[in-house]
Amino acid sequence: MRKHNRIFYYGKKSLIFLLSVLVLSLVVFYVARLAPGDPLVSYYGDRTEKMSPQEREWAMEKLGLNEPIHVQYVKWIENAFHGEFGISFKYKQDVVEVISGRIVNTLLLGGIGFLCIFVGSLLLGVFCAWHEERLTDRVLCRLGTISSCIPEFWLSLVLILIFAVTFRILPSSGAYSTGKAEDVGDRIIHLILPLTVVTLEHLWYYAYMIRNKILEEVRADYVLLAKSKGLPKRSILFKHCLRNVMPAYLSIMAIAVPHVLGGTFVVESVFSYPGIGALSYESARYHDYNLLMILCMMSGILVIFCNMLSQIINEHIDPRMKASEVTETSEVKAV
Amino acid sequence: MTEHAFKIVGARPTEEKRMPVKRKWYQGKPMISLGILAVIILGCLFAEVLMTKDPMYMDLMNYNKAPDGEFLFGTDTMGRDIFSMIWYGGRISLMIGVLSTVISTLIAVVIGAFSGVAPQWLDNLIMRFTEIFLSIPALLLVVLLQAILGKANILSLSVVIGITSWTSIAKVVRTEVRQIRNGEYVIASRCMGGKFFHILWNHLAPNFISSIMFMVIMNVRSAIISESTLSFMGIGLPIEVISWGSMLSLSEKALMTGSWWIILIPGTFLIVTLLCLTNVGNDLRKNVNRKESNL
Repeated sequence: MRKHNRIFYYGKKSLIFLLSVLVLSLVVFYVARLAPGDPLVSYYGDRTEKMSPQEREWAMEKLGLNEPIHVQYVKWIENAFHGEFGISFKYKQDVVEVISGRIVNTLLLGGIGFLCIFVGSLLLGVFCAWHEERLTDRVLCRLGTISSCIPEFWLSLVLILIFAVTFRILPSSGAYSTGKAEDVGDRIIHLILPLTVVTLEHLWYYAYMIRNKILEEVRADYVLLAKSKGLPKRSILFKHCLRNVMPAYLSIMAIAVPHVLGGTFVVESVFSYPGIGALSYESARYHDYNLLMILCMMSGILVIFCNMLSQIINEHIDPRMKASEVTETSEVKAV
Repeated sequence: MTEHAFKIVGARPTEEKRMPVKRKWYQGKPMISLGILAVIILGCLFAEVLMTKDPMYMDLMNYNKAPDGEFLFGTDTMGRDIFSMIWYGGRISLMIGVLSTVISTLIAVVIGAFSGVAPQWLDNLIMRFTEIFLSIPALLLVVLLQAILGKANILSLSVVIGITSWTSIAKVVRTEVRQIRNGEYVIASRCMGGKFFHILWNHLAPNFISSIMFMVIMNVRSAIISESTLSFMGIGLPIEVISWGSMLSLSEKALMTGSWWIILIPGTFLIVTLLCLTNVGNDLRKNVNRKESNL
């Protein structure tokens, strides 16, 4: 009976997931095509202006843009199921190839950044909770509030100004020096500044959250019991409180994944870091439909997947929680 | 000291009944932040009085000058006086912040309240839709919306930011409304034939307004951040329209010449404003009276 329930549960989840992805693709497809602008410009560049109507017709036909939108959509879906996502108008290459060259860079930046945030905020939060309302805690809270007020792009600018322009110790742009794509050390040096921005920008938000969660937990009755048994403060905090806070933290961090990745978009553009952030901006701006679709779908699927993951984590902790109530945790991020 | 030494482990500290100390109206409020915020807002409103130069005038003789007696905060790479631009441009930044928050709050309240009073299936549907909406990267949504609305101006940028930032408030409104929608007064009002907007405005809104106030202030903050980021990246306001964001969009040139004042001064103003807003917002959040730690 239980096994049956579990299959039903995951089946329902995957169905919702697929439906959401389908609706997302439909919305993005329509919005992108209905937005005014000439997609031919991204393929033919300035030549588009000199084209005769016949040439335009021919070009539209060649790119498959002259059919009604719903026909185009059905075609796109069919091809997508076969793993063909079309060519990028601007790069005149298969979109998968265009992306695969860059996605590693973004994953590197976002992935390491996420790890830093995950570990760093946990440590910082526990540290602050340990020193609750003492000087260190207060100073850190102040500093944290300030850090959360600094826009990403400005922090990047200031870091470039200090470390690249004034002291000239770190490079200001790119993911590697020319011709050194394979050099690990060179890549690390180029990653330092963008990574600092990505980490600092999100660190305090999650650290503060875990600090407050622990402070709530510390006021529970079992802590009193543990203390009267004579357990040291350290073991109560780490063995009992932290363990109770962890699931909630995990579910919050699951929602954090897309936010961190979204944050890399701005950072990439300031540091001219060749990732998919700049690519998606370009593709939306110049109506590179196929590229836009695959990028939107990739990030959209990630968001939906992470939301669902956090729901599942939450529901496993507390079966009473209904899916609708879990979404409340995600609103916290926007604050 | 002695009391501390003989404290029995596990004994609950009894609450001491304290006489409520009468506090002056300004105590416990973030007065410094409110003061700085007031100075900045007034300075921006009455920019004409403070400005020493015409902020639009491009003084080609004195471009990219460091701060001195004549140009208090220096000039940018186009020869405009930064001191005057800050007050003049702050007006637009603050206006976009307020305007887009008004738009996003309106959308959020209507959708949230509607979802709150709607039957379960419709509520689920709306919440799913919100989730899908959230999963489109905000930056792309902004670019697409910009393409639809045409060349960016203050209003279109506010609309764009407003449309992309309503979801979090809507969720809170929905939760609050779900809790109070079956209250006697709501049912009574509905029995008397109250329309949706009448009930929303007169019966529901007064109940949830305090819980979204904090988020509304935070939305002003994030709207100002969005404006500056978008203008900086060149998708927001054009460079002729002065705002804190568009002033910073010159910083790439400034980086090459090492002109720190073009980057640091407008940025500091921006951050101080944001910090004050955060402090004011945090103060609005209900202070939960914490009992003593067990640890």
